[in-house]
Amino acid sequence: MKRVLSSITDGRGFDIALVALPLAFLLLLSGLPLLYNVLMSFQEVDMFSLGTLWRPFVGFENYRKLFEQPETLPILGNTAIFVTASIAGQFLIGFGLALFFWTNFPGASWLRGLFLVSWVMPGLVVGAIWNWILSGDFGVLNFLLRESGLISGNIFWRSDPNYSLWAVVIANVWLGTSFNMILLSVGLSAIPGDLYEAAELDGANAWQRFWTITLPMMRSSIGALIALGLIFTLQQFDLFAAITSGGPNNSSNVTQYWAWDMSFRQYDFAKGATISVIMIVFVMLASIVYVRSTRHEVRG
Amino acid sequence: MGIRKYAMLGALALATVSSFCIPAQAEDVTITVWSLDRDIQPAPNLIADYNKLNTGIKVEYRQIQFDDVVSEAMRAFSTGQAPDIIAVDNPEHALFASRNAFLDLTDMIAKSEVVKTANYFPGPLASTMWDGKNYGIPKATNTIALYYNKDMFKAKGLDPEKPPQTWTELVDAARKLTDPAANVYGLTFSAKANEEGTFQFLPWAQMAGASYENINAEGAVKALDTWKTILEEKLASPDTLTRSQWDSTGTFNSGNAAMAISGPWELDRMVAEAKFDWGVTLLPVPEQGAERSSAMGDFNWAIFANTDHPEEAFKVLEYFVSQDNRMFKDFGQLPARLDIAIPETGEPKKDAALKVFVEQLKYAKPRGPHPEWPKISKAIQDAIQASLTGQMTSQEALDQAAAKIKAVLD
Repeated sequence: MKRVLSSITDGRGFDIALVALPLAFLLLLSGLPLLYNVLMSFQEVDMFSLGTLWRPFVGFENYRKLFEQPETLPILGNTAIFVTASIAGQFLIGFGLALFFWTNFPGASWLRGLFLVSWVMPGLVVGAIWNWILSGDFGVLNFLLRESGLISGNIFWRSDPNYSLWAVVIANVWLGTSFNMILLSVGLSAIPGDLYEAAELDGANAWQRFWTITLPMMRSSIGALIALGLIFTLQQFDLFAAITSGGPNNSSNVTQYWAWDMSFRQYDFAKGATISVIMIVFVMLASIVYVRSTRHEVRG
Repeated sequence: MGIRKYAMLGALALATVSSFCIPAQAEDVTITVWSLDRDIQPAPNLIADYNKLNTGIKVEYRQIQFDDVVSEAMRAFSTGQAPDIIAVDNPEHALFASRNAFLDLTDMIAKSEVVKTANYFPGPLASTMWDGKNYGIPKATNTIALYYNKDMFKAKGLDPEKPPQTWTELVDAARKLTDPAANVYGLTFSAKANEEGTFQFLPWAQMAGASYENINAEGAVKALDTWKTILEEKLASPDTLTRSQWDSTGTFNSGNAAMAISGPWELDRMVAEAKFDWGVTLLPVPEQGAERSSAMGDFNWAIFANTDHPEEAFKVLEYFVSQDNRMFKDFGQLPARLDIAIPETGEPKKDAALKVFVEQLKYAKPRGPHPEWPKISKAIQDAIQASLTGQMTSQEALDQAAAKIKAVLD
């Protein structure tokens, strides 16, 4: 007994307790709901069985029915486009800004801080504002494009099936860029300055320094950022609710919005869960990338 | 510190005093009511008034958000924690009624001195029925009609006292009123991919003889084609596809649309914002003399089947019903009652409009009632959007909707 006690206050027991606490927390608050969700996707759920755990088991019936629906594949495609385009946009602009502020001109850190305002704003507020900006008849974006001669007629960003998904992508890029910038800035400032000095002495130009020093040194930051970006983009719900509601005709619908619509608009909880399970698979893949890339950070 | 101490003392004193007062009511029956009404809306006020009557029934109120009503109610019911009384949106009434989650009130209503089914508009009443039985009582009601800008009618040579009565007249008037140079669309309405789209489209299909059970009938195709014409000729903004009724009517108020299809909930804002002369007319019909129809909105009262106090809960509902004559005067909502006249507000445009809405209510039809209404509605929304974005013809889109609805109905 005494040995156990002393091991808890000082020794292996303490280490185990440190690991066990967050693990229990995670299992309870994330693991169980996740498993419950997977279970629900294999069951027949209606309002009367909502409160029970053991419901009629239907195997892959929910999955089969889901893939029979004509909108399923387009929505999965939309999700892929949304995620790829959002991450690419956020990352490229964020990296550009991070490099720009890295030059450390007077007031750079100040301005960089201000950029975070967009990240702090709640998604629904951002959505409402972009809703006005993207409005077809009186939107600011159309006004700017028209005045600068880029377009002759109004683009109906929210209501034209060719543009609606991009309308949300634009808003999401705006929302996520500053977060990318901050994380990349941190990564940049961690690169030791003497590496660049040495390279400069050896006659490497700016481009070569970027490719051979900056990018390789940033590899783990970039990996982590893209994995986080994937998770954040797959979570992006508010913008869809505020700007297009997935319309017109599902042209801007993505899995995360669709899952909500299934569960809480059409009260088809089983199918909502099924869509979520499909998403979980993708998020798991992203998490593996994230964990693998942050592993390097310890060494670096 | 000092203040907090006094506050604590005060609270303690209050608790002691009230606990002395309470014994008289110690055996009160407690009835819980859930609805989405805020402090200026009927439910909390009626409940406060009822509690003052000291009838031996104590009513407790909980406000729930619009989006949560059904999921919250389902969860509560399936875990046995449902309230006694709930206000539920009318198209969702059948979902609960068909599974006997709501109490069958038929006998209690038959015996009641206060609640008489003959007093109600047929549409709202039908939405509370399932299988020929009464599973609720209409709480309030609303419908849609055509608002039009009389000044614009005059400016374009149209008679402001003769608003369009048929679909052809409506499209013609919209063509004359549309003025892209002045940023004016002829008409504004909502074809959004949610319940609002169905709410606006279904009356058109019904006027032409279709219904949700045969949504690909000739009349519905003609209705959708008319919408398509309106959007293709840019007589309404392409944003009609993603804009709510409230936002769409906003463009009417600001003078960017000459006509608007919407409901009485717009009246107060319009009186305050619209800087022009406007009127309201009944929803245009397919051709002269055709059957009229309109949408029907708002909530119904219902008692959950697993209540411990059905008699008392019904007494509370009877009180709510007895106060229906305050519905408009105090809360600005239309009672679902044929026998209650809407009092004059002293605002001539609003009073004239209300007369039209009350007339329109006679033709209002419920959505459904069907336990799987959200799925039926979704099929209709998808068809509207597929056709209006030009991805399908109206016939193809409605055929697809009919197939989806058939799968639900079977």
